[in-house]
This record gives sequence, C-alpha cells and structure tokens, in this order.
Amino acid sequence: MENFLKKHGTRLKTAALILMLFIPFLLYAAASFGSLFQVKLMLVMMGANMLYVMIKG
Amino acid sequence: MADIFIVKWILAFSPILTVLVLMIFFNWSGSRAGAAGWFVALIAATLVFGAHPKLLAYSQVKGALLSLNVLYIIWAALLLYNVVNETGAIKVIGMGIQRFSGDKSIQIIIFGWIFASFLQGVAGYGVPIAVVAPLLVGLGFSPVVAVAVPAIGHSWSVTFGSMGASFQALMAVSGLESSYLAPWSATLLGIAAYLCGIFAVYVFGGWKMVKHSLIAILIVGSAMAGTQYALAVSGMWTLGGFGASLVGLAAGLAVAKLKIYNQTSPSPSHMEMGLWWALSAYLILIAIVSAGVMIPSIKAFLGQVKLTVNFPEIISLRGWVTKAGTGKGINVFGHGGALLLYSSIVSYCVYLSKGFYKPQALKAILQKTVQSGVPTSLGIVSMVCFAMIMDHCQMIYILAEGISRVFGSLYPMISPWIGLLGAFMTGSNTNSNVVFGVLQQETAQLAGLSAALILAAQTTGGALGSMIAPAKILVGCSTVGLSGKEGPVLKATLRYGLLITGIIGIITIVASFIT
Repeated sequence: MENFLKKHGTRLKTAALILMLFIPFLLYAAASFGSLFQVKLMLVMMGANMLYVMIKG
Repeated sequence: MADIFIVKWILAFSPILTVLVLMIFFNWSGSRAGAAGWFVALIAATLVFGAHPKLLAYSQVKGALLSLNVLYIIWAALLLYNVVNETGAIKVIGMGIQRFSGDKSIQIIIFGWIFASFLQGVAGYGVPIAVVAPLLVGLGFSPVVAVAVPAIGHSWSVTFGSMGASFQALMAVSGLESSYLAPWSATLLGIAAYLCGIFAVYVFGGWKMVKHSLIAILIVGSAMAGTQYALAVSGMWTLGGFGASLVGLAAGLAVAKLKIYNQTSPSPSHMEMGLWWALSAYLILIAIVSAGVMIPSIKAFLGQVKLTVNFPEIISLRGWVTKAGTGKGINVFGHGGALLLYSSIVSYCVYLSKGFYKPQALKAILQKTVQSGVPTSLGIVSMVCFAMIMDHCQMIYILAEGISRVFGSLYPMISPWIGLLGAFMTGSNTNSNVVFGVLQQETAQLAGLSAALILAAQTTGGALGSMIAPAKILVGCSTVGLSGKEGPVLKATLRYGLLITGIIGIITIVASFIT
C-alpha cells in the first residue's frame, strides 16, 4: 500500500485536486434538488478527500 | 455572556490557529495544514456555529469557484514561468541585471519591490511572487529570501493594482464614492509603499543594507506613492498600481546610475541568448495584459463568456444570514489567467521559432507545471474552502467583532488588522474588503470616526495581508522548489507583515484624532 502511494503519489494528488474542485459542484446539484442524503454523502466524500490530502498532501 | 463570547471567539479562531501552528512550528506543507484547518472549521461550524449540510454544500461551491479564479492565474503563471525557464532565459535575465547593477540592494529594489509591484498592477493574484521569486534565485538569492522579498515588496500596490479590483470592491460594499475614499486610501498605501521597500531590503541585508539603500528607497518610494496618490484622487484609480510602478521603474533605473550604487563591479559573463530575447516573454505579457485590460473593445470581446452560479439565501441554525446572489464568476477568455495563458502560448511560439528549445521541451514544460501546480493548488483550495465555511457561519464576523470590542476607542489602530485577517484567510484583498468592508464602515459610523479613514485602513491591512497569505506564499514557493517547505518563508513575511500593519495602525489612530 505504502509503495503504491509512493509510486503514484503525483497522480493521486492530481486526482485529489480534481475531486476537491469537482465534488462541490455535485454538492450544489444535490443541495439544489433538496436531496439531503446525497448532500451528506458528498460531504463525506469531500471529508475523505481532505483526509487524504492532510495525511499525504 | 462575555465568557460565552470569548469561547466563541477562540473557537472561531481555531482553524486559523491550526494552520499557523502546523505550518510555522511543525513545518507542515500548506496543503496538509489547509486540510487540517478545513476539518477544524467544519467541526467548529457544525457543533457551535449552526452549520447544516446545505450551508456547507453551498459554501464549498463558492469556495471552489473562488479557488478556480485564483488557480486559473496560478497555473497560467507557472506555465509562463516554465516556458521562459526552459530556454534558460531566467538565468540570462539574472546575469543581465547583474551586468546593469552589481549592487544587491538595487537588485532587490528593482526586482523585489518595483517589478513585483508592476506585476501586481497588471496581473495580481500571486503573479508578482510567482514571477519574481525565480528571477531572484537566478540572481543568487536564497529561495526563502527570493519568495519573501517580492511578497513584502508588492503588497502595498494590491489595492490599486489588478486594475483597482480591490478598491472597486470597497466602493461596491460601502456604497461610497472614489472621491471620498481615495485620498486616505492612497495616503496609507503610499506610506505602506515606503515600509514595504524598507523591509524588502531589510529581509535580505538587515539595517546596514537599509541604510545603504535609503536614498534609493526615498526616491523610488516618493515616485510610486506620489504617482499613486495623484492617479487615485484624480479618478484614475484603476491605473493607480500600474502607473505608480511604471514611474517607480523609471526612477529605479535612474537611481541605479548614482555613484554610491555603482561601486560593485558587475561580474563579467557570457550569455548565449540576448537579454531582450530573454525578456521578450515578459514584454509580450505586458503587451497582452495591457491590451486585454485597457482597450475597451478587446476587453468587451474577451469578456463575452462568463461562468456564474446562482445561490439562494442561506441561513445558519444560529440565524446568520448570507444573502442570495451569484458566486465569483469566471470570465473564461478575459480572465487574468487567460491573458497569462495567451502570453505563454505566444512566448512559446517565439522561443520555438528562434530555436531556443531542446527536443522534448514542451513535455518538460507541462510536466514541471503540473508537478509544482498540484501541491500549491491543494493548499489553496482547502484554505479557501474552510474560509468560506467560516464566512457562512458568522465565524469571521465574530473574529472582527471580538477585536473591535476588546480595543474599543483604540479601534482605528485595529482596523488594518481586521483587513489583514481577511486577506490572510482568503488570500485576497478584494475578498477581505467584501467580508469586512461593511463591518468596518458601520463600526466607524457608530464610533463617530471617519469612514474614509477606517476603510482606508481596512484596505491597507488587506493589501498587506497579501504578504502573509498562505495562498500566495504557496505560489511563490512552488516556483523556486520550496513546495512543502513554506514554513520558513511564512515565518519571515509574518514578522514584517505584522510590524508594517502595526505601524499603519498607529498612523491610523493618530490620523483619527485630526479628522
């Protein structure tokens, strides 16, 4: 796992950045439709992404 | 009641404190510290400040939009830098300036103070640090000094730079005319210009070098502060930063000819590329940005496509209302980032046609841009996103209110600090003015103070906040190979940023007695 993270570090960080910028727009769509479950789900995804950045960023 | 407010204030401050402590004392990178700050803001906002899922959702979209606006510039600036650097032109510029003046203090003044201010005048959003820092490294300065010097040197010109975007925001939120706001704003920012020049030199060479370059600082500072004042009060505030730094550049080159600054013999050097070819990318940048910003027909043509998102009114569980409206729009083809992108493409074509690139240069340029752009961007997005959470849950307002409550009649002394706080949080003088402008205006009116003076202090503090904003430090560090090691730079700029803001605060309170 550690080797995988080391080997693909730059790609994973790029993916984290793309997710960081993309998830908020999914959040916007979910909030506009009034779907509380989807909003919470997206917030959990956003949190998981931030956690990755905090540990490996 | 007061005890509860203190606890709330401390909790509102906790995300900022987290970022500062992790970056300065634990040497965490901006991206890691920003993500940690995001978690702290999320927890505090949810448990104490009445955040709910919908509020968090909309605040994050606003954060993403704001980040995209900033990242557009940063990625394009990094691309331009790599387009230039791949030819070896940065080294050539460094040698060229050394040939022009071997005096280190003059090099600091011309690059770190004047040229950085000029770039702020035409572009802004971290471009001055991103462009000047590698130039200073090319001149032989250490990477930490190379980032800290332009960060300090350019910040006085932020309000009237970027075609006066921050000043425009101040007028918009306060509803006051430029003729009322400009004199005090230009005065305080003019004083800040001298202080930024002094501390830009000090950060490299201490008081001995400040003493040596005092004549140059006085002449160049007077030229820039005077021009800025004249342009601002005559209604041409959009050109305040641009015009002031152009006049400053002429003054700087003239000062470099003085005998006291010509005693160090420049080192003889051979350059494969001519200095003008090396500088051509920046001349192209000046031409394209000037045309895109100042020629109305081109500006209108490029500004036809704008991405915006509409937001409803958002009310926190504690009753804090964020008004409905559109988020920060993105002017796809007329954005500062787009202008930098055009400059990068044209410059690449010019260098390519002259045969300055080795094979596979384009691949190397793109790889280097991604390598330094990603960590920087992660830090910026996480910090802007947690600032948006704080803004939507009254946390930023509580911070400002606490400061004004504690200092009471000393409020004028504190008002630049509030501006500084806003810029530190969001990485933008414009955002600071938007967030705190009304609060400062209302407090000034309640206390019977001049709104023009207090708002001038707000925007001056906001401008000075540029030198300590992690978002901007990250940009500079990424261009000199200091990604992930931003702590020492932040430590240096923080010291001088706080000192200059303190001096502006004292000047503001003295001025409040005479207005």
